[in-house]
Amino acid sequence: MTYIARIATAAAVVALATAAPEGASAQERIEFMFPAPVQGKLSREMQRIVREYNAAQDEVEVVGVFTGSYDDTKIKSQAAAEAGKPPAVVLMSANFAAELAMNDLIVPIADIAPEGTDLDAFLGEFWPAVRPNALFNGELYSVPFQNSTPILYYNKEHFAEAGIEAAPETWSEWIEAAKALAKPDGERWGLMMPSNYDYNGWLVQSLAMASGGSFYNTAYAGEIFYDHASTKAGLKFWRDMVHEHGAMPEGVTDGKAVSTAFFAGQASMIVLSTGALSFVRENATFDYDVAFIPRNVRNSVPIGGASLVSFKGTSDAQKEAAWKFISHLVSPEVIGGWSRFTGYFAPRQTAYELPEMKEFVANNPDALRAVEQLEFAGPWIATFNTVAVRKAVEDEMQALLSDPELTVDEAAARAQKNANEILAPYVAETAYKF
Amino acid sequence: MRSPWSALGLAGFAAVVFLWSTPILWMMLASVRPESFGSLDMASLVPDTVPTGDQFRYAFLDGDWAVWFTNSFILVTGTLVVQLVTISLAGYAFARLEFPGKDVIFYVFLLQLMLAPPVLIVPNLTTLVSLGLYDTLVGVMAPYWGSAFGTFLMRQTFRAIPRDFEEAALIDGASWGQILWLVLLPLARPGLIAFGIVSVVFHWNEYLWPLMVLSDPGNMVLTVGLVSFALGAEGASDWGLIAAGTLLVVAPLAIAFIAFQRQFVNSFMSTGIK
Repeated sequence: MTYIARIATAAAVVALATAAPEGASAQERIEFMFPAPVQGKLSREMQRIVREYNAAQDEVEVVGVFTGSYDDTKIKSQAAAEAGKPPAVVLMSANFAAELAMNDLIVPIADIAPEGTDLDAFLGEFWPAVRPNALFNGELYSVPFQNSTPILYYNKEHFAEAGIEAAPETWSEWIEAAKALAKPDGERWGLMMPSNYDYNGWLVQSLAMASGGSFYNTAYAGEIFYDHASTKAGLKFWRDMVHEHGAMPEGVTDGKAVSTAFFAGQASMIVLSTGALSFVRENATFDYDVAFIPRNVRNSVPIGGASLVSFKGTSDAQKEAAWKFISHLVSPEVIGGWSRFTGYFAPRQTAYELPEMKEFVANNPDALRAVEQLEFAGPWIATFNTVAVRKAVEDEMQALLSDPELTVDEAAARAQKNANEILAPYVAETAYKF
Repeated sequence: MRSPWSALGLAGFAAVVFLWSTPILWMMLASVRPESFGSLDMASLVPDTVPTGDQFRYAFLDGDWAVWFTNSFILVTGTLVVQLVTISLAGYAFARLEFPGKDVIFYVFLLQLMLAPPVLIVPNLTTLVSLGLYDTLVGVMAPYWGSAFGTFLMRQTFRAIPRDFEEAALIDGASWGQILWLVLLPLARPGLIAFGIVSVVFHWNEYLWPLMVLSDPGNMVLTVGLVSFALGAEGASDWGLIAAGTLLVVAPLAIAFIAFQRQFVNSFMSTGIK
């Protein structure tokens, strides 16, 4: 027992030492919570940016806090805010901002920016496609930091082998290409798309938008269009790839499995985020290229990615510090550097006017393609209780991929019904409250 | 006596063992492969490449392992040491002392087992903030210091010890403290060890609660650190790196288990926990 007692004493001493408050300083100390969107390398780069910022000035001291996945980040920041430790800056999945604003958990950017800051002009420097997700009821609540759209990656060697000359531009070309590229018995798939939660809903939205739909009501958080023709066309396209054309594996495919299959030459075309551009560039050992997501009725894709928000309940000094740090992170130099490092596009247009950015885009035409597609990009699903509403369609899409007997009409009707039930309390509180 | 049946049984046993150890075997292999992002033979369980230490090198570059290991070690020992004290005392009280409402209190205590920990995240965080323990390792440990499971286990263990021992000590003039310390605890060792294993493994592997409480990178523990390798929301995963990192995380527990396997198995046999 004396042994255990010794450990106890040692543990207590060390614990107290680590718990001891640091010396008082004139600096304003703020917490910056960020998730790791791709891998450890990014988390390290983010810590480097924070250290560089801390070293460059002495008014604000930022503590970079790694917070796991996007969902974990939301849980942690909300729990911390409720417990009375609201984080001053959080990098949050771009479509969570509206919901956080709706629940009165984050503050409008106008509250942290110094008085007289022209926020309209500020937002005007960002790509039009990323603006709607930053606003809630017309007010700016989040600042876009890293954004992406779905994009088509294809193996040029496989295309040459199958005699296909150019990337498909329409859905019929896309289907023909997938059929021609697929080899029997799953030896090679024509097309693979991730169908795990989150990615799934994003891609269903992308297919619906390509069919001319808007997927959800961008002006009202209580409406979703799952049983509309445009969404149903998307569900049908994806389902048919598996059960009609045999060009895609059955069941739910994880994003990791998709890129792994692409690198291994087991998938000729894949749809992934532009956020994976650097990752694909570093790991593809064959000749590949990227292309716009083919159009059904029109070219259109949703944006994805993450924005910076500030939680409610911080002191005035912390708010001021939060704005300083956010301004630094989204400055064209920093946001452009992060874009080159990660593959995300820089949401601030002015970043692309910098010489290093021009040079990078010239050397990496795939990065340029991602930026060009922005012209056709629209906002990402953001409703009341976004995650649950999104899951309503994801569950049905996954069922469609697994079950050849299930019809698109049945699946869409059920997704709509389940989503409506989730939206009902909000609808009762808003549209029907008169 | 060897019969064809026992050979068949052995073969079946070997097959099950192989099936269960596949993930670990694959992980060990993936951690020394030069290809990390998935090639055709990445899934193979047959070592067909020259082993390389690159993945471990990257893992060390990417992570602050010294800090993570130290913190995880402090976390599990700090939790266990206090738990051993509280569960022994509480277990003794419920097993041997007579006081009004003993059974009711005991069952209320056991109700704790029915609460799913995530429900308590916000209330516990609020308490930690008011105690000034937010973002400290002590804050991660504190909610676990009173363990219903441990108390139950020690109560059962103490009750299984014949009262004759205590009565003999009592005749020799021992106080209750001496009886607990010199007679009961040595006899309850298997129970303490069994609880120790459960507690250490649980807290070593716990992710959500430390993630909620800790913010300062200097306070980070292994599980949270490891996740920075394993996430692949937008792209794909660096399988080799994940495998190397995971091996580093499980290594201390695996080595301890192999080294003390005999004692562990014995203690589980005598407490009846499986």
